[in-house]
Amino acid sequence: MIQSILLVDDENLFHLVFEDACSLLDISLTLESVSSADEAEKMFKDWMGHPEEKPEVAFVDLNIVGSSFDGIELIRRINFQYGNGVVIGIISSSADQTEISRAVQAGAQFWIVKSDDIEPRLEEFKEDYSGYKNRSAAFKVYK
Amino acid sequence: MKKIQFPAHMCQEFQRIAQEHKIYLEGNILKVIEHVSYPPFDEYIQAAKENDQNNRKKRLEVTKQVQEQNKQLTKSHEENEKLMADLKIALEEAENAKTSIEQQNQELKDSQAENEQLMTDLKEALEKAENAKKSAESDLDLIQKKTQFELIGNIVSYALYVIVGTGVITTALYVMAILHGSTETTLIGNTWSNLFGILLTNSFSIIGTIMGVKYASKDEPKSNT
Repeated sequence: MIQSILLVDDENLFHLVFEDACSLLDISLTLESVSSADEAEKMFKDWMGHPEEKPEVAFVDLNIVGSSFDGIELIRRINFQYGNGVVIGIISSSADQTEISRAVQAGAQFWIVKSDDIEPRLEEFKEDYSGYKNRSAAFKVYK
Repeated sequence: MKKIQFPAHMCQEFQRIAQEHKIYLEGNILKVIEHVSYPPFDEYIQAAKENDQNNRKKRLEVTKQVQEQNKQLTKSHEENEKLMADLKIALEEAENAKTSIEQQNQELKDSQAENEQLMTDLKEALEKAENAKKSAESDLDLIQKKTQFELIGNIVSYALYVIVGTGVITTALYVMAILHGSTETTLIGNTWSNLFGILLTNSFSIIGTIMGVKYASKDEPKSNT
């Protein structure tokens, strides 16, 4: 089981959906949700002094309304500025190939396409998680 | 993560509350409870997890419904905003068209006024030209008549001078012949009277001719009868 998850998404209703889906699928022990990329960046900056508090996995929305930058830029900053060690990927309703390529270049490990029925994709992700954790799994898009 | 253990009496209290009031522990706390110290607590934990899952399933369904409604509302809102924007653009276009038409209308009115002014000026110019033409014709007629009258006057004058001169000379010759005691006065008298008669006849002939010419040169309509 994943110890802790961070969700970065501007849609508050999706926070509830994601939290309940993770709980039902017994994916994680704890889950924290934030609504902006700036807030998430600040948290990672703070965690640089306390790496043990960092989440194991971060799910980041592609377009985060009200943020100074998008989800891919957040992933790039987390990977290249605040030290990696976090399994990180995009969760978005978009499946644009150009954006997916950008995400890969930024260091994203997976891309989950958001839909009404998110549980099967999360369950599949749960099965692949160990590969992401030890960096042996290739980038994957969950459609 | 290190799990927690509840003492047996606390486990019994949780079971009692569940039996009496159907109140169970919920959420992630259930994942970190160890119950080895009181094995019958397993049944409670299992029931609590089921209860938690049921609640989460219900909440997830409701949240998804709300999310869907929210999406539809957002979509409707966006469509409304788009419609409003389109309406605004259409309104602006109509306003612009109205302004343009009004401007064109004003230009047409101005053009019409200019045309009317031009027509008025043209009519005035035409009237002036007609008047000038009439005046010129009148002047020309006057000049022609004046010339005719002057010619007639000159002809009459010279004719009268000739007649009177001839009469005076002949009379003078006749008087001189009488005064000098000429014997040929009868012949001269006859000649004088003949000559005088001829002169008078010619004079009246000239005057008659002149009057005829004058009558013929009048612009009055002539009857065909």
